[in-house]
Amino acid sequence: MSSIKQIPVITERKGNPLARVFDEFVRFCRSRSLFILHYCTGCGAIELPPAMTSRFDMERLGIQPMVSPRQADILLITGYVSIKTLKRVILTYEQMGSPKYVIGICSCTVNGGMYWQSYATAKKLDEYMPVDLYIAGCMPRPEAVLAGLQKLMDRIHSGEANSWEDYFRNYDYYLGNQQKLFGENWQTPTDIITEAKHYDLIGEGTLGKHTQLLEQHQKPLEALDMRLGHDLKEPTE
Amino acid sequence: MRPENYEAQRHPPSNEFELNFGPNHPGIEGNYALKVKLHGDVVVEAKADGGYLHRGFEKLMEQRLWIQNIALVPRICVPDPSPMEVCYAVAVEELCGLEVPQRAQWLRVMQLELSRIAAHLFTFGGHAATTGMYSTMYWGVADRDLILDLFEEFTGGRVYSIYNIPGGVRRELPDGFLQRVSETLDYIESRLPDYDNLFFKNQVFVKRAKGTGVMSQEQALAWGVTGPNLRATGLAFDVRRDDPYLVYDQLDFEIPTEAHGDAWSRTLVRRLELVESIRILRQVVAALPDIAGPIRAPIPNPLAWNVPAGEVYTRVESSKGELCYFVVSDGGPKPYRVHVRGPSSMHAVQVLEKMSVGSRIEDIAQTMFSLDACPPEVDR
Repeated sequence: MSSIKQIPVITERKGNPLARVFDEFVRFCRSRSLFILHYCTGCGAIELPPAMTSRFDMERLGIQPMVSPRQADILLITGYVSIKTLKRVILTYEQMGSPKYVIGICSCTVNGGMYWQSYATAKKLDEYMPVDLYIAGCMPRPEAVLAGLQKLMDRIHSGEANSWEDYFRNYDYYLGNQQKLFGENWQTPTDIITEAKHYDLIGEGTLGKHTQLLEQHQKPLEALDMRLGHDLKEPTE
Repeated sequence: MRPENYEAQRHPPSNEFELNFGPNHPGIEGNYALKVKLHGDVVVEAKADGGYLHRGFEKLMEQRLWIQNIALVPRICVPDPSPMEVCYAVAVEELCGLEVPQRAQWLRVMQLELSRIAAHLFTFGGHAATTGMYSTMYWGVADRDLILDLFEEFTGGRVYSIYNIPGGVRRELPDGFLQRVSETLDYIESRLPDYDNLFFKNQVFVKRAKGTGVMSQEQALAWGVTGPNLRATGLAFDVRRDDPYLVYDQLDFEIPTEAHGDAWSRTLVRRLELVESIRILRQVVAALPDIAGPIRAPIPNPLAWNVPAGEVYTRVESSKGELCYFVVSDGGPKPYRVHVRGPSSMHAVQVLEKMSVGSRIEDIAQTMFSLDACPPEVDR
């Protein structure tokens, strides 16, 4: 993590004191209604049904599963991520709307866990995307998952859970690691740099040699031809 | 949203379109995907797309000691891990010629059958959720948790028990454990009529499951289908009875079959197997107090354990089907080659691909759950 630049502490909004009260209120609301993306990346997902259903009941904390990344707040990485999954995880993460939070469940996301010598898995998740919280264990019990989620809620409330800003501020570092794994011509459809400009989160680490490489290889994504009804014939039996 | 480096394919104009079904999809079991070609909402072609959960188990096992692999194998199939470790332990025992004490064999049967009940309850939950009946899912997961509590007390782990070692099992039963097993069994048995009313007799489920994903007995045999899916086509084949391992030849149980080979029959076979598993467990609970003796055969220092050269093929009946291990030893401290023949790689790839064709898109999830395929074991 040496090349990650120090993130400045979130600056309080100056001026209108009403804005601070409003920010506090927004953070409170955010921490009380969280949607988890329903993506079972690994074995830790087997402990999520007990945590979600009647026995441990995640819903009493205001946390529910959600099927689409666009509406989800939390990306749970439940266990090892193989290289093939990691691509999808990154695509999913970039699709999610900010603010977004990543929780790494199971030891495999921390350091590779059981599969430390496997040729097929990515060992450290935080090289490829910023992680807010790790829940270690193989696999963590539902109580541990719930305790982790409560910790995340506290961090969101106090304004500490802003790893998603880190992705914009240090995009070059993360992109470099992704390129190392997936090859130089790796690109995702999401334009992170424009998004960083939108959030005013361009940092020293946003642009660098890896983003230059991205621009070199990036080809404009052509729109799919979605016109219906032209030249359509009934398929011949 | 298009994947990276995606080239849009130019097809001649037609009414068909492609759909990526999974891996991030609630209708798919785990991290697995299907590429589906649709005409309207009818599936024209389905192509399985696995590999999201590949960890390279067979290679990893060649790099670890015989005893270390015990901790690795349960991870192959997450919802039903116990048969994995038992099958591997039996393979190593056969290579070494170890005689497993009677008590250890009975304890293993207890572990396997508890695991089968837990896996079936979990499958009912998932299957019910694909037809929109979430209450059954809540019930199934909650009742499975009772079994997991027993596992935690009995083996130390909720999901991955790692209870077996080559030569026996790791620990003796806790005090009063058999009593608690019977109480849980009584409870689960008393719940079965409720499950029938809520799920198995529910017309929402019956109408959707009947006639979905049909395969004949000949097709099932040609495609390598095993376990409850094969028994749902009318063939009463069960490794527990036809090639007995452990002490299954001393136990009295039936092999439930159904005739139609559709999603309904497959689920019903599992429902009937719950009763048989409860019956087996009652016999084990009755027999265990009278079987004294050690729980483990003496083994050499496990960190410097050279298993004699040879090769062995062992099989057990897991909740998903027939699970086999082919283990080759060259006389060294690590396996020379381990091959896992899991049931799900047949069910989730070739069978699912063929059975999805002609069904409607909303039935793919139901077909997959009724086959009880387990993606981590497909990819390994």
